[in-house]
Amino acid sequence: MEALKITNLCKDFKDFKLDNLNLTLPSGCIIGLIGENGAGKSTTIKLILDMIKKDSGNIMIFGKNNQEFLKLNKEDIGVVLDEIGISGCLTAKEIGKIMKYSFNKWEDETFNNYLSKLNIPMDKMFKDFSRGMKMKLQIAIALSHQAKLLILDEPTSGLDPVIRDEVINIFNEFTRDENHSILISSHIVSDLEKLCDYIAFLHKGKLLLFEEKDVLFEKYGIIHVTPYELRQINKKAIIGKKESVYGTELIVKRDSIPSGFEINPISIEELFVFMAKENI
Amino acid sequence: MKGLLLKDYYMIKKYCRIYIFLLIIFIAISIFADANPFFIYYPPLIAGLIPVTLISYDEKEKWDVYCNTLPYNKKQIVSAKYLIGFIFVLSVTILSAISQSIKMINLGTFIIQDIILLSATILAVGLIGPSLLLPFIFKLGAEKGRIAYYIIIGFLFTFITILYGNRLELGNNLESNTYLIIVIITSIILYFISWHISIKFYKDREIA
Repeated sequence: MEALKITNLCKDFKDFKLDNLNLTLPSGCIIGLIGENGAGKSTTIKLILDMIKKDSGNIMIFGKNNQEFLKLNKEDIGVVLDEIGISGCLTAKEIGKIMKYSFNKWEDETFNNYLSKLNIPMDKMFKDFSRGMKMKLQIAIALSHQAKLLILDEPTSGLDPVIRDEVINIFNEFTRDENHSILISSHIVSDLEKLCDYIAFLHKGKLLLFEEKDVLFEKYGIIHVTPYELRQINKKAIIGKKESVYGTELIVKRDSIPSGFEINPISIEELFVFMAKENI
Repeated sequence: MKGLLLKDYYMIKKYCRIYIFLLIIFIAISIFADANPFFIYYPPLIAGLIPVTLISYDEKEKWDVYCNTLPYNKKQIVSAKYLIGFIFVLSVTILSAISQSIKMINLGTFIIQDIILLSATILAVGLIGPSLLLPFIFKLGAEKGRIAYYIIIGFLFTFITILYGNRLELGNNLESNTYLIIVIITSIILYFISWHISIKFYKDREIA
């Protein structure tokens, strides 16, 4: 079953348009939404959560229309927001109590375990937390009410590399259960490269690419060419181009490149930067 | 809705201590025989506006966005604030009724009808503020909502003054019981209508 299916989703603001977004997240998988600030990641997440109203298109969560699903099954979704949103005067202990009365399936023990695992103080006020600590607390909440789908908006921003790695392991652990899925947005591409099964590139409200991560590595590569070699390559094979005094670097579709060229593997970050630049 | 109320309880405990302190001091002062009526009518005004203060904090701290990801619907989010407003105004009414009873007993002028009437007036004074202001805030947010409220109320009063001029007599005489009963019932009905309108406004609002 699909945890999430978005079809032809559009939302027009005065200065920004999310244009015809199509995404599918199979159950048990992690999809990474990559994009620069303002690319439409948070808008997509708010549309999924029905916080803002779509202009057109369709959003299905576990086979149900999102509005219908959220009416009855909001508990099944764990959310971490980029802009956080917990009152500064509350302590982790008080937040735990609030959540206990908010979620039917709240697990005190799980929450307390995450607090100690992630070194979150119990009695310190939230406003005195570092950004990283605030994020970790939100993550602990999202993981403590038996959610089946995690929707995470920039959850690793502000975390130091060691904690980031730990958090990524926690997310990986979460999707071991094949009924669990994650939609995660980030501009820290290396995190998503480690974590995700599917990658979606968003740029200025448009979906540039949506593909299984492993397929991306199989499909695309980098080659260094001279001006003469460049002329030999079919233009349709070129995804992106970077020219410098040392020659030209191309991101290419591997299967359209004539034999004889040395094709180097590409990172998701390189692929995204190239594609975004091409689409400026 | 328990979780929302608990969260507001924590916030009131930490952010609204000064208001609660003022309420108690004012009610205590109103026991004295020569106390100005201001000390009776100011506490319900403060109590009624506590939900507005809470909403301002919620928006500042982005709780208004986050709580929409929790298993609550918009009706519950609005209702929590109206319930808190009602609980505070009712508590002030009860405390004031007790304090005024003490005062009247001391003066030897205790009449139960007067206490009932006075309590009902205090309740009405407390409910009128949030009834008028909250729909604006749920429609436009705390900042814009407050500005819209002041503008519209300003126009409304100017209009009423122009229309009725000196003929408008605001009855603050306790003798006109019928007039007061109408005001009180109207204020309670108004609170529930306002509650309903706020739910509708908030349902239509985008949480961005």
